[in-house]
Amino acid sequence: MRAKVDLGVIAYFGLNGAIVFFLLAPIAIVSVFAVNPTPYISFPPVGFTLAWFAKFFANPDFINALWLSLKVAAAVLVLSMLIGATAALALVRGNLPGARLATALFMSPLMLPAILTGLALFQIYLLAGIGRPIWGLVMGHTVVAVPYVIRTTLAVLHNFDRRLEEAAAALGADPARVFLEVTLPLIRPGVIAGGIFAFIVSFDQFPVSLFLVVPKGETLPVVLFNYMKFDLDGAIAAASMVSIALALTVVILLEWRIGLRAYLKL
Amino acid sequence: MPPSPVNPLNPPAVLPGSASVRLQGLSKSFAGTIKALDRVSLDIGAGEFFALLGPSGCGKTTTLRLVAGFETPDEGRIVVGGRDVTEMPVHRRDMGVIFQSYALFPHRTVAENVGFGLRMRKIPRQEIDRRVSAALAQVALTGLEGRRPAQLSGGQQQRVALARAIVIEPPVLLCDEPLGALDRRLRQQMQFELKQLQKQLGVTLLFVTHDQEEALALSDRIAVMNAGRIEQVGAPAEIYERPRTRFVADFVGEINIVDGTWSGGRLLAADGRAMPAPPAAGRDGPGAIAIRPERTMMTAPPAGLLSGRIVTTNYLGGQTLYRIAVDSGASILVKDGRGEGNSVRAIGERVGVLWRAEDAVVLEA
Repeated sequence: MRAKVDLGVIAYFGLNGAIVFFLLAPIAIVSVFAVNPTPYISFPPVGFTLAWFAKFFANPDFINALWLSLKVAAAVLVLSMLIGATAALALVRGNLPGARLATALFMSPLMLPAILTGLALFQIYLLAGIGRPIWGLVMGHTVVAVPYVIRTTLAVLHNFDRRLEEAAAALGADPARVFLEVTLPLIRPGVIAGGIFAFIVSFDQFPVSLFLVVPKGETLPVVLFNYMKFDLDGAIAAASMVSIALALTVVILLEWRIGLRAYLKL
Repeated sequence: MPPSPVNPLNPPAVLPGSASVRLQGLSKSFAGTIKALDRVSLDIGAGEFFALLGPSGCGKTTTLRLVAGFETPDEGRIVVGGRDVTEMPVHRRDMGVIFQSYALFPHRTVAENVGFGLRMRKIPRQEIDRRVSAALAQVALTGLEGRRPAQLSGGQQQRVALARAIVIEPPVLLCDEPLGALDRRLRQQMQFELKQLQKQLGVTLLFVTHDQEEALALSDRIAVMNAGRIEQVGAPAEIYERPRTRFVADFVGEINIVDGTWSGGRLLAADGRAMPAPPAAGRDGPGAIAIRPERTMMTAPPAGLLSGRIVTTNYLGGQTLYRIAVDSGASILVKDGRGEGNSVRAIGERVGVLWRAEDAVVLEA
């Protein structure tokens, strides 16, 4: 009896440990590469250096791409929260005919390989004579990022107690006030959680970006990919560490400034 | 038990702001299928404690939601304080509403919840604070202003909901099973407090419940509803003592219904014997009478109108409820209280059952 329980506990921790290891090991290895002084990627490390970070920050191509990626991701964050939240509200509350179909349509970028979305957008831009402006890139990213916001907002809306809105209305709040005072604050955690996903999806976006960037206007993942085709040194690993750190910072900031607060205090 | 927050010494008074509610032929269907309400008309006086009583799905909550303005009727008018509000949007109706789930805003403090309606009315900050404190004092929640609803017990949440509804001084208070989520003990205490508060404020209170005991204990008048219609309207004693229909008799309390055939003003049972009942001249054909268990008596078998065998005995403390399987196949409940002479009878004992004609109620077909 006792042995059985212990076995279960061991299996439980073993399995979960394996999952965490599987998820984190690549990052750990990349972080090792980033500080290993050998001019090529190798394991185990033979020393410690920050030279690869210096190389990364000294390269204007990297830095420009990093800035562009951050700006695009920030724009995608705002756009996809706006579009995703309003779409989710319309889908749940709008009494729209064909709301299920519309939901499936909104979600379709999740099912489709992003590279197809990228190719399709590229062809549409070409046919429409738009070219490849930055806002085109932002829109491309938004298309793939919006489903995340819709999904998280829908989850909140499905558990939403409509009586809260009725209570506010009965207390004298007109429909606009009801939305601002009750609906919005209560769906905000869902919208922000989706927004965080949207930011990361954009910041990490490679397949869609590949088709929509122009030379000298490439996002960080594309620049890194091009760099790797010729050099495979620690600068790549250093770039990865920097982008992981940046993404993490933004997530933590958002969560801390707005996300958690929405749960604890208005 | 915490002290009662309501001062029972305050004399009842009908506030000038309290309003009558008149429903005229309200009908409502949902999704074109079920008729949730079928031409419901009611006159509720200003300052009245009025209960809508019925099983789930009888239309009582729909009626309340129509009065609040959450739904619009397909037909009929709603007149509050002499003013037709049928087309008026919810936020202009000035109704106090209390939900079964309380519907407190989870992202706001107790004080913010209670002050919400005042803030919507653009009342100055200081007056809001003053009135919120007064309302919280009225429901014995002083000191909890800064808490969030999730940090309160069920009873406290109920009181916040009450304070939030009364602080706007509504002419009508609408309550949808407001005590349904509380345990029995707390429920009884809140019933008492709600009744006291209603009398003290003089507010018209429309109360929805499926709990007949609660309706009988609290209300000035009750409307018993069934399948979207009103079966009977009356004071609690009237509803209990003189149910008009089989549904009301059955729904409110325990009752014995004896079926028979009216002939010459008398109700004849299947074996042709006349059952004691008030004379009902002009009735003919199948009919029924109802007698409360506490109005029936047990005797020796030959002396009874019906005879049978005791099947179960439920000792209720002071009284015993007997279920007797009578020979015709039906079962009759007898509540026997007076201990003198008649000790608790045993299961299986053969007894006769009888009642006085004036204690039987003639049911409409």
